[in-house]
Amino acid sequence: MGGLTIIVPVKAAVPNVTAVRLDPVTHNLVREGVPLMLNPYDRNALEFALRLKDKYGGKVITISMAPPSGKDFLESTIGMGADEAYLITDRAFAGADTLATSYTIAKSVQKLFPDFDLLVFGEETTDSTTAHMPAQVASWLNLPYVYYAVDAEVKLEDRLILVTRYLEDEGVYETYEYKMPIIVSVYKNSNPPRDVSLVRKVEAKINGLVKSIDNNALKLERECIGLRGSPTIVAKIEDAKPIERKKQIFKGDPKEAAKWLLDNLIKEGVVKP
Amino acid sequence: MSAVQAQQKICSEWNPVNKNDYKGIWVYVEYVNGVIKDGSLQLIGKARELASKIGTDVTAIMIGSNLGDVVKEPIYYGADRVIYVDHPALAKYIPHVYANVIVQLANKYKPEIILFAATKRGRELAPYVANSLRTGITADCTELDVDPKTRDLDQVRPTYGGNILAHIRTPTRRPQLASVRPNVFPTPPRDTSRKGEIIAETVDSLPNINGQGLIEVRSVTKGEELPPVEKADIVVVAGRGVGSADGVKLLTELAKLLGGTIGGSKKVVDAGWLSADRQVGQTGKTIRPTLYIGVGVSGAIQHVFGMKESKIIVAINSDPNAPIFQYADYGVVGDYRDVVKELIELLKSKKI
Repeated sequence: MGGLTIIVPVKAAVPNVTAVRLDPVTHNLVREGVPLMLNPYDRNALEFALRLKDKYGGKVITISMAPPSGKDFLESTIGMGADEAYLITDRAFAGADTLATSYTIAKSVQKLFPDFDLLVFGEETTDSTTAHMPAQVASWLNLPYVYYAVDAEVKLEDRLILVTRYLEDEGVYETYEYKMPIIVSVYKNSNPPRDVSLVRKVEAKINGLVKSIDNNALKLERECIGLRGSPTIVAKIEDAKPIERKKQIFKGDPKEAAKWLLDNLIKEGVVKP
Repeated sequence: MSAVQAQQKICSEWNPVNKNDYKGIWVYVEYVNGVIKDGSLQLIGKARELASKIGTDVTAIMIGSNLGDVVKEPIYYGADRVIYVDHPALAKYIPHVYANVIVQLANKYKPEIILFAATKRGRELAPYVANSLRTGITADCTELDVDPKTRDLDQVRPTYGGNILAHIRTPTRRPQLASVRPNVFPTPPRDTSRKGEIIAETVDSLPNINGQGLIEVRSVTKGEELPPVEKADIVVVAGRGVGSADGVKLLTELAKLLGGTIGGSKKVVDAGWLSADRQVGQTGKTIRPTLYIGVGVSGAIQHVFGMKESKIIVAINSDPNAPIFQYADYGVVGDYRDVVKELIELLKSKKI
């Protein structure tokens, strides 16, 4: 009975989300030629996975659907402690919404690592913030799933996992018990990630440890991937418009300022006289 | 359109969809641990508006065990119909099981739109449902509209840091799914004289839990008497400019005197001066109180995103050029300690 095979799908996020380029036709984010970084919350997911590996043995594999420039941030996942890293890259995957992306990830995992125990995702990405991927992949693979995981324990002999998760808006912790394989996403304010070893990262680069896989190898159906496999379209984009505000400003003595403010708030009916 | 519009070849894993077969707007009404989520009720109000635009009606979906009279609640808030599934196996919330029940109902009734409140559980459920129906989904919408001609749902969500609004559509697939941020729409008034149809549904089978599923629930006792930021009419929000946890304490005193609550910007939460559930902004909570008072808040776009719908906005900041003043109805330029202390004195003197 071996340890765990843990797959951590990660995403190349665009570092500065307020200075992005959008494709004028599809309104999609332009990722080609943009310096990419590992989505910060995926590092918490990787930490979650590495802690399980440290405790129960096995291996941690990162996988990412990204342009060829994604190799670099996958090397940093090896630097952090992942055993292997796979870059799923092909022009045919471009323009995918979350349905097509989840299909690509789910089918890649099925083909490359059919015997995995756990798929561990970050809670969401900092550039698109949909948090769709874990549930969508769970749907394609027909597996149980849990969001916002903070901790897990494994009973290797029974292939059981106990996942504790935190629901921030309810202030509630829940623990779920499932037979593996399952899918979890990791609460973004948990599992602070360990440092990246630069030595390991450089070794990963020199030894070409990140393996690239294209659709010639995966043979995913064209209609299910990329733009064609994406039912949603970005119909329009616009700048967010602010609501008109009164913009009355008081400068001067704090005592008078406080009185001026309170009088106005009473007049507005938002503070009781 | 011509009925024989050339069908583009679709993914073999997708079912063919005839848009005309899908009618009605659904709201998944989240009911957990004996509580209906406000975010769900708010969606009933919005769904009504959309439904009247395309001449259809609003159905609420509820799932659980021993639901009792709670199934009438969505009617009181404006739903025309409630379809519920009451089953002992649904006593515990299991994400893939709950999602699967919604999928089975959607396959049977074919709604054109399904809305979810983007609570933590809603964000977990909705993508699984969408995917199982092989359709599109948009997360965390802040506005919804519907095109009366195509009946396409215009799903508006802030993206890439919140300074861009993306309008997303699912033109060729049905149903259309969206999750919507709680508190961007008001809660409709509860009217117990409203009548509606209530349908008890059963499902053919439930998926294997594959283990025991939910085995333990633990509530975090906070020992705090102040209400959560999304529930209060008055919210005093601390920004980085308050400088310390003591500054937050002073603002908490002000919040209590006003009968409101305390919140913080991301910087304040990151500094550990307030807990994460009190964070206001894009990565925290969206609030729409009647009065927002930002103290030492600079007004970064990510923060503004979470409070810009407030009825009255007040900013207190020592920097006259702080962007927050652009969003404020009333602004005070000055050292917040002095101003807030004076406010506290004034309020105390009024109480006597």
